[in-house]
Amino acid sequence: MCCEEYRDRIGRFLDDELASDVRADVSEHLQACAACRLELENLQELTSAIPNLADAGVPSSLWTSIETSLQTAPDRPSPRTATRFPLHRSRRWALAASLVFVVGLGFLGTNLMSRSARASEIDFGVLLDALPLDAQLAFGKFLALYGAETGSALEAKKFAPALDFETPPTLPGGFRLESVYLLQFGNRPGVAASYRRGNDFLATIFHPPVEQENFGTHKDYPCAIGKHRGHKVEVGSWKMIHLTDPTTCHCVLSQLDEATELPAIMAAVAPLAAAGPPHNHGE
Amino acid sequence: MMSESEHDVVERCRRGSREAQRELFERTSERIYRLLLRMTGSADDASDLTQDTYLKGFAQIEKFDGRASIATWFYRIAVNEALQFLRRAKTLRLKLENSARDNVDYPADTTAIQLDVQAALGCVEPAERAILLLRYQDGLDYRAISEVIGCPEGTVASRLSRARDRLRDILRKSYGETEENDATVHPKNG
Repeated sequence: MCCEEYRDRIGRFLDDELASDVRADVSEHLQACAACRLELENLQELTSAIPNLADAGVPSSLWTSIETSLQTAPDRPSPRTATRFPLHRSRRWALAASLVFVVGLGFLGTNLMSRSARASEIDFGVLLDALPLDAQLAFGKFLALYGAETGSALEAKKFAPALDFETPPTLPGGFRLESVYLLQFGNRPGVAASYRRGNDFLATIFHPPVEQENFGTHKDYPCAIGKHRGHKVEVGSWKMIHLTDPTTCHCVLSQLDEATELPAIMAAVAPLAAAGPPHNHGE
Repeated sequence: MMSESEHDVVERCRRGSREAQRELFERTSERIYRLLLRMTGSADDASDLTQDTYLKGFAQIEKFDGRASIATWFYRIAVNEALQFLRRAKTLRLKLENSARDNVDYPADTTAIQLDVQAALGCVEPAERAILLLRYQDGLDYRAISEVIGCPEGTVASRLSRARDRLRDILRKSYGETEENDATVHPKNG
């Protein structure tokens, strides 16, 4: 057997995963072959460096969070979201606060999971707050908050058949579709999509009309999108435009001009709403 | 195979005992959290994914057949959760490799080669990172790894081999670039 063939076995030798007769054969070869010995030494050095990490202790609050989620599990709306509870930074603080609150009241059913599950409002604050830092990261936080899973345009249609939306592969102005996401707003499905044109990022979010859209500390204002009236929230150069009809709230997050560029985008992602009669939103 | 006491705990867990769930968490969570921390490079994400892992594990405990250990069962869920998360993160371009270097604390006596390997680990594909960590951090043998990632032992061996090669390539390139940079910064006189 040549060195090349022995080298295929050196990894298994290192991992102590060879039958005893094969191991003895490799061992004998290693005594005779300096090159293969060096290969083994290199692998030993490489792999022994992998586990060196500070003792990573489990956060003490983790079991409490799990237990709280277990207690609210029967309230969860569907198997799809039953095991998801993304505790990203802002939510973790919020959870801690909510735990103090609910423990104080002796009532554990009002944590953030159930808030998300019921979703009489949609929390855009998490998205808007992070926009100035990194729009994609901000969008990612929003997706995580609503249990996003990636899907295809076709899957999105099947997932949210009651919503009026499109996630076309391209948008006017040269934006190309990057990803489609399936979201869960309480018991009701929603859809989002991300687009890119060079360095320009654009995102769409479609959700069923809710009692309240929560924009955190950001104010929303009426605006005109073509012949329709919607509303918008501005954060720096970013704008989140909403156009709502009886079935769907269509949101577009971009840095585009609402008078010149957005009407065509809205017509592409919300064809029925955009083609329909003029309507008002939030009045 | 499960130990007798582990079997008892799992049975109680199946009957919905919160105490048993906690016991399983106490027994296994350190390994699971450490794996997820190394997979994601973020304590926050590792916490989220550990939570997802146990919620999913407890919800599906009926499917646990006892042929492997309960730790392997949770490892399997954790690896799947981590890979799904990293796929989404890649789509969202969250730049996890950078956060991996920024957010993980290393012990004071960490050597240069260890630091280099930790950084290189953040650059290999997540599936390869998982198999390297399962073998060389957590010490799982090929059989246990095959149960975690759901493939034959022979495939584990070949994937491990590829992952080690990839890790070495990244280190070689890194050292090569460093030497080139050094040469640029410190040109020889004369």
